[in-house]
Amino acid sequence: MSDSTLELKSSPAKNFLSTENITRADSTVKEVFDMMFGLEIKVLDADLDDSGQIQSDDKTAIVGFSGSLRGSCQLRINHQAAYSIASAMLGGTPIAEGDESLNDALGELCNMLAGGWKNGIADFASGCALSPPTIVSGLDYKIHMARPSTKLCRTYQFGPHTVHLSLYKEVGAQG
Amino acid sequence: MTGTVLVVDDSAMMRKVVLRVLKMAELEFDTILEAGDGSEALELLRTNQVNLIMCDINMPVMSGIELLQKIKVEKLAANVPIVMVTTENSEPQVRQAILAGARGYIRKPFTVDHIRNNVRPLLPA
Repeated sequence: MSDSTLELKSSPAKNFLSTENITRADSTVKEVFDMMFGLEIKVLDADLDDSGQIQSDDKTAIVGFSGSLRGSCQLRINHQAAYSIASAMLGGTPIAEGDESLNDALGELCNMLAGGWKNGIADFASGCALSPPTIVSGLDYKIHMARPSTKLCRTYQFGPHTVHLSLYKEVGAQG
Repeated sequence: MTGTVLVVDDSAMMRKVVLRVLKMAELEFDTILEAGDGSEALELLRTNQVNLIMCDINMPVMSGIELLQKIKVEKLAANVPIVMVTTENSEPQVRQAILAGARGYIRKPFTVDHIRNNVRPLLPA
């Protein structure tokens, strides 16, 4: 495998890809970056799958959804962006190379994004539970899901860094 | 402010963030205790007097809700304010936490004002 890819079959799910869900994803990302990191973040129009940027995104955080929504929230960023986020989370304290805080911060970020997004959607808020975050380091991996899934992708920018957010919903699940 | 705060969260980073924001909200404590899950927190509460507990809900080994229930059963931390700090904020979850003994509920992400406004009134003047 030369690069990381997410192998997923897509299927129609108009509700999941609704403007409301997309807007909710954008507002959640902005809220978390503003409130927790004091960072301004903006939506980019870049297509996640075709972007060359994602080839350098060597940190992936994953939080699973279960219950009324089955799927996952996945966040991909590069190493430097992860350092910026972890440092901002601690009020600007530098993070040492190899510090586990980096993965911890990324997991918490993904947790807040997953929770914030699903809590804002009535169908998912109370009946959907979150898994503990998982962090994948490196580019050479694939994520396989048990069922075909619908994917909602958004790309954001803060400073010189990009953030790729993907929300997956398994086909056949509610919502 | 004198006293002891116990911060319970499986994320060491989030424990640091909570402590940093408490300080920014001028809610500093002499002694800081940290626990990575409800079970560790319970052990600390059996041997330490605390003045405030800031607690996550989703944690391995023992969740924040289970911790609240154990605290009640074991009659620990009597009259100590317990504030839940969590990404989960659906009405049933908030109700469950309040019924189990939580006095405050703060959703992640949070600001200094959220912490100040929700924690300060629970502490002695």
